[in-house]
Amino acid sequence: MFKHSGTGNYAYMSARVKAKQSKLLKEEDYNKMLMMSVPEISHFISEAGYSKEMNDLAVRHSGIELLEYATYMNMSKQFRSILESANGELKDMVAAYLTKWDFENLKVVLRGKNYGLTLENMREDLVIAGSLKEDDLEKLLSAPSIEEALAIFKSKTGLSVSDEAIRAYKEDKILTKIEDEITKGYYKNVLDSISGKDRATNIFRNYMKYVIDLKNVETIMKLKMENIGGEEAADFFIPGGYQLNQKIYAQAAAAPTMEAAFNELQSMKIYEELKALSQTPTISLLVLSMERVRLQMAIQVAHMYPLSVIPVVVYMIMKEDEVKKIRTVAHGVDSGLDRDSIKNLLVI
Amino acid sequence: MAARDVTPTRSVLLDLKRRIKLSQSGHKILKMKRDGLILEFFEIMEKARQMRVGVASDFQLAMKKITIAKVVDGELAVKSAAYALKSHPEVDLSSKSIMGLMVPRVEANNIHTTLLQKGYGVIETSAYIEDAAAAFEKLLITLIRAAEIETAMKKLLDEIEKTKRRVNALEFKIIPEFKESERFVKFRLEEMSREETTRLKHLKKKGASTE
Repeated sequence: MFKHSGTGNYAYMSARVKAKQSKLLKEEDYNKMLMMSVPEISHFISEAGYSKEMNDLAVRHSGIELLEYATYMNMSKQFRSILESANGELKDMVAAYLTKWDFENLKVVLRGKNYGLTLENMREDLVIAGSLKEDDLEKLLSAPSIEEALAIFKSKTGLSVSDEAIRAYKEDKILTKIEDEITKGYYKNVLDSISGKDRATNIFRNYMKYVIDLKNVETIMKLKMENIGGEEAADFFIPGGYQLNQKIYAQAAAAPTMEAAFNELQSMKIYEELKALSQTPTISLLVLSMERVRLQMAIQVAHMYPLSVIPVVVYMIMKEDEVKKIRTVAHGVDSGLDRDSIKNLLVI
Repeated sequence: MAARDVTPTRSVLLDLKRRIKLSQSGHKILKMKRDGLILEFFEIMEKARQMRVGVASDFQLAMKKITIAKVVDGELAVKSAAYALKSHPEVDLSSKSIMGLMVPRVEANNIHTTLLQKGYGVIETSAYIEDAAAAFEKLLITLIRAAEIETAMKKLLDEIEKTKRRVNALEFKIIPEFKESERFVKFRLEEMSREETTRLKHLKKKGASTE
């Protein structure tokens, strides 16, 4: 990816995202949605700014599917408009952050090709919210092989995978190594794109480092559940975290039980937030709590440094969260989960 | 076979006696087999009952987990993770004998895959999806075990029914008919023997009067 010159149009972008942020759903809106049926939720969100996408997609989809595709489409439009309006290093940071959606799309393409899905099926599941445009994604879709899709992805985003990962894929047709390498590449890319030259970008950088820590904790717990430790676990460590270094990661991964692994994290700031779970550290509770911590961190810094990258990134985080919450409520209601269970799964 | 259709000869009588003995011993063995099968059936029925409870609870758990995965991560993420899977569950079919009855033995292979064999990235794939995948693997194993037990139970039921019909046929039709035939042959032979004696007496009397 090419670096943009200049610091960026922070004032303009801050004003834009502030206007957008005021339109986001509030906590009371989710509480109202909890009392509704799926069609009522669809109607409610149509009036809350999703009407165009709901109308556009209503021809092809209905019910919960329509709601999911429409919310993703709306989020994509918002992110693309931010990316297109930003310039200078702000654009670089936003683009690097949004590469995660390019990675999500790459996963859809790789898994789809590996499984033998049709182009139409894969195209339907793409969320064009990243830096790759529709033409780029079309190229990815029409790549004749996974290797060529990866080469196209590398040329557009700079994220590449090692020959070893491609060799491993060729041997057993398993995408694990490729996906994990791209995940690590994504976090490295984001950290590299944040200069950290001032307090505001430093806050964003630290936020991303915390996200890496949380990802590493989640990975340890997932591996612990499967009794995977040692050398094998070390392959999944994402470098660049805030407090969780390779040594703590290795110690936690080598711990005999989930509880012991959790206790190895005592030196981390996040342990304070999660220590209530230390007696019964089930992975779902941990993930939910970590998600809460991550959002809390974003909310805490939201009003600091209004003329910086922070408002832009916080808006994107909040928008992603809004889409996730709408989906959570709608799916929960659709599948007949009781209100308390849905509320517990909502990170409010 | 009607009792009066048989030829009343000594050899037929001997043959009937042999057949009655054979039928009675067959009846005894089949009754024992039927009782044995019923005992086996009750044992398997208990296992099947527990298995059904297991299938129901595993199914509920798996559905709950997949629902939560869809609620938290969305349909697209769950669908995408499913497409990444490359391993296919396999079942080995063989058979075992229960009192001479062949019932299938089903063994599941390649059902539980570790996190590293699933096919999707370990770091980014949600723990909820992983949880749901594990629950469905467990459900599949339970279903395969349940299929084995239920098939054995159905085969046992069929065999019990068949054996019961044979026991009843022997007890209420074949053995009584043989006994009736035996009684008829015995009666006819006795009658023939009496006729023979009378004829001999007449001949003796006739011979004496001519002398």
